[in-house]
Amino acid sequence: MSKKQNVTTTSTGAPINQKPLGTRIWNNRGYYLMFLPVLVFVIIIYYWPMLGVRYAFYQYKLKNITWVGLKNFETMFGKKEFWSAFTNTLQISITKLLITTFTSVLVSVFLNEMHNLFAKKSLQTIIYLPHFMSWAVVAAIFQLFLSTSSTGFVNETLKSMGLIAKSIDFLHSKQLWRPIFYIINIWKETGWGTVIFLATLSGINPELYEAADIDGASRLQKIWYVTVPALMNTVIIVLILNLAKVLNLFESVFVLYNNRVFDVSDVISTYVYRQTFLTAIPDYGYTTAVGLFKSIVGCVLVLVCNWASKKIRGRGII
Amino acid sequence: MKKKVLSLLLSTAMVASLAACGSETAPADTTATETAPADTATEAAPADTAAAEDYTLETLNIVVDGTVTATVESGQKEFEEQWEAAVAEKLGHPVDLVINQLDHSDYAGTVSRLLTTGEPGDGSYPDALIMSATMLRQYQTTGLLWDMADAYANAEFQSRVTLPTVNENMKDSEGHLYGFAPTYGNGCVTYVKQSWLDAVGMKADDIKTFDDYYAMLKAFTENDPDGNGSAGTYGVIAAGFGKLDEAPYINYMPEFWQGAYPSFYQKDGVWVDGFQEQATVDALARLAQGVADGVIDPDTEDAGTKQAREKFFSNDQTTSEGVFTYWAGTWLRTLTTNMEKQEVDNDLGDNRLVQLAPIQEIKDTWGGYLNREAPVWVITDDQDGNSAREQAIFDALLETMLDGDRVQTLWTYGAEDVHWSIHAEEFSTNADDPEKKKDYSYEEGQFHLKQSPNDPNSVWKKNHLDAVLVIAPLTNGYVDNDELVQAGNKFFTENCVDAPAAASCDTLAENNEALVEEKTTLMKQAVAGEITPEEAIAQYQADFGDIAQQILDELNAQ
Repeated sequence: MSKKQNVTTTSTGAPINQKPLGTRIWNNRGYYLMFLPVLVFVIIIYYWPMLGVRYAFYQYKLKNITWVGLKNFETMFGKKEFWSAFTNTLQISITKLLITTFTSVLVSVFLNEMHNLFAKKSLQTIIYLPHFMSWAVVAAIFQLFLSTSSTGFVNETLKSMGLIAKSIDFLHSKQLWRPIFYIINIWKETGWGTVIFLATLSGINPELYEAADIDGASRLQKIWYVTVPALMNTVIIVLILNLAKVLNLFESVFVLYNNRVFDVSDVISTYVYRQTFLTAIPDYGYTTAVGLFKSIVGCVLVLVCNWASKKIRGRGII
Repeated sequence: MKKKVLSLLLSTAMVASLAACGSETAPADTTATETAPADTATEAAPADTAAAEDYTLETLNIVVDGTVTATVESGQKEFEEQWEAAVAEKLGHPVDLVINQLDHSDYAGTVSRLLTTGEPGDGSYPDALIMSATMLRQYQTTGLLWDMADAYANAEFQSRVTLPTVNENMKDSEGHLYGFAPTYGNGCVTYVKQSWLDAVGMKADDIKTFDDYYAMLKAFTENDPDGNGSAGTYGVIAAGFGKLDEAPYINYMPEFWQGAYPSFYQKDGVWVDGFQEQATVDALARLAQGVADGVIDPDTEDAGTKQAREKFFSNDQTTSEGVFTYWAGTWLRTLTTNMEKQEVDNDLGDNRLVQLAPIQEIKDTWGGYLNREAPVWVITDDQDGNSAREQAIFDALLETMLDGDRVQTLWTYGAEDVHWSIHAEEFSTNADDPEKKKDYSYEEGQFHLKQSPNDPNSVWKKNHLDAVLVIAPLTNGYVDNDELVQAGNKFFTENCVDAPAAASCDTLAENNEALVEEKTTLMKQAVAGEITPEEAIAQYQADFGDIAQQILDELNAQ
């Protein structure tokens, strides 16, 4: 009976003699030495702070730190503000993702159909620009734009057209806040979202369009039967990749929301922010528990997306 | 397989080692909950004076808000140097003063983080800091603050204190004094633009009731007081309809709130929740009517104090307001000066603003404008079982702050020859503009304020202490004779009453932010007309009725 060998095979199936790990590390000690600072950096920057998650099981107010077990989670699940923030996060993020992806695809197809190169490039540049503006500036612009005072362009225009008699308080209205939020997101992110779709469109085989021409397809038919199917794989990948990040919604909401629309706008990150930074004596244990819950849900989403990615494109995202 | 096992073991070892390192703090911190520093300090009091003599304070870290106006850009370095020189002379040894001036708008949050993460003795942990009365109530039961009752009672400045009740009222029911107020609180009065009154043919003396006040607001909104021929003006602006996170909550719109007090307060010796009272329902209805009629500037809802006052004295008066309720005394001068800078009503000089006497509804309920509980200085307790360090901090900072002479002058007016001087000099503000140019001339030995270090077109006003509000006046005769400031302080003193004392109990401390958030949201919804005031109160009772009752039970049991 032959003794089983400790061997690894190459991609062609040829065996490689495997030396013990210690020997291999010693033989490549120069490389490992070079890697050491990176390892230390990663541990200090990424893993050391993670120890803070233990405070999710403590009451942590000022210098009083008391073990409370799962009480913070009980408190969290018993608060309607938390559930409001949680459901708002999912609703706002997923709706925003679908809308901005759809508009990005639409604009990409439109740009792809433009034959005047100068106009195409100019338009591309113009719609890219808002992406580079900070959310604080964007919020200031739209607050001015939508203001109820006499300086508010939208209200004054609607009034001068006779469409409304009294100014509409767009950003303080529960009914209008989300639509306005989506519109602002479309304005800011659609241009940037077209980059990946335009790259895909440029890779479509021209012979497919030539064949469609020979078959007598109209312009719209070519878009529907050639362009859109060619984009679908990319659209799904973009959706999956972004779905993993849906809980990371903060800055855009933070700069645009206010007390009156908390019910429809408060998301987990803004909820945690208020509990942590706008509370005179915050309980860091409770806010850590909320943050930990968010991380766990985010982790599950990433795993689901990874599974979906493997199913659809044959490889995962992590 | 071997590789996987090895990597697993390595990962486990790493996590275990990290956890072992990190877990050191938790058990140590947990013990802090068992400490009762306040009691310790009290028990140790008899030995304190002797201990303080043994303790030499080398560095004094103080954390301050925007009320210390000698900022880094405005001569703070010189203030520190002169303070260190004066205090070294008094104490007989040098003390290095380190000022950490925080963003005024996020002061409470930043203080909380400083006190949570730091330890006495490290560079960022404050030895002493400024707190509002509300903050003091929240912190005085935490054990982080030193009970300075004995130090205060034995202070050298006691012989010169003219307003002893200010700090006596700061003591808790057991006589502990965790915060020291060097001045009384001050409050807000309602300012009206004289030019707008003239434009709509009204007189401030005729505004005696809410109906008169409201008629004035409507006139300012509808009768083109700025004379530009079109609408756009408003009656009044404020930093929020009510500032429900900061006592006394109602002082920016007192005419609308009248007798309402949307928080816990003592009424005839019994604690009540003012937000649930009919007076609050009526106040919300008045505010809602004001918004619906357009007499309240819609910017009021989200405006901070800076935004509100800048819009009030803006160079563009076409979208401004005629009424603004703001701090009394020095702020009358500041608002007037800012209007001057913005070239608003230049022909009226110091008569640009008129102070409105409290309307009858305010007089009938509170008795006058509310004089808030004073902001205080607190000293952090290092919880080492004796008060040597804390007494030394008191001696260096608070005892000298009211020395009546050199150090008190620094805190009152700023640094000598930077913010004020007694040397002969002449200077001009707006020297480049013949129309606005104003000349100042002083003789040798004459106390006067100098040009502002950060604005040569204005004269410096004060530093941290208000000479008129201070509980122990200066004895060196250095008085700023600004007539407008004096008139403002006199007017407020004649028309004010003390605001209700802030409430403090465990359940309130635990739920305060949630309560404030709920009340603010409901207030805004009611004022916007989205819900009725009655619905707002009903919603509050449904969400927080039980907690409010528990708070009242605790307060009334004290």
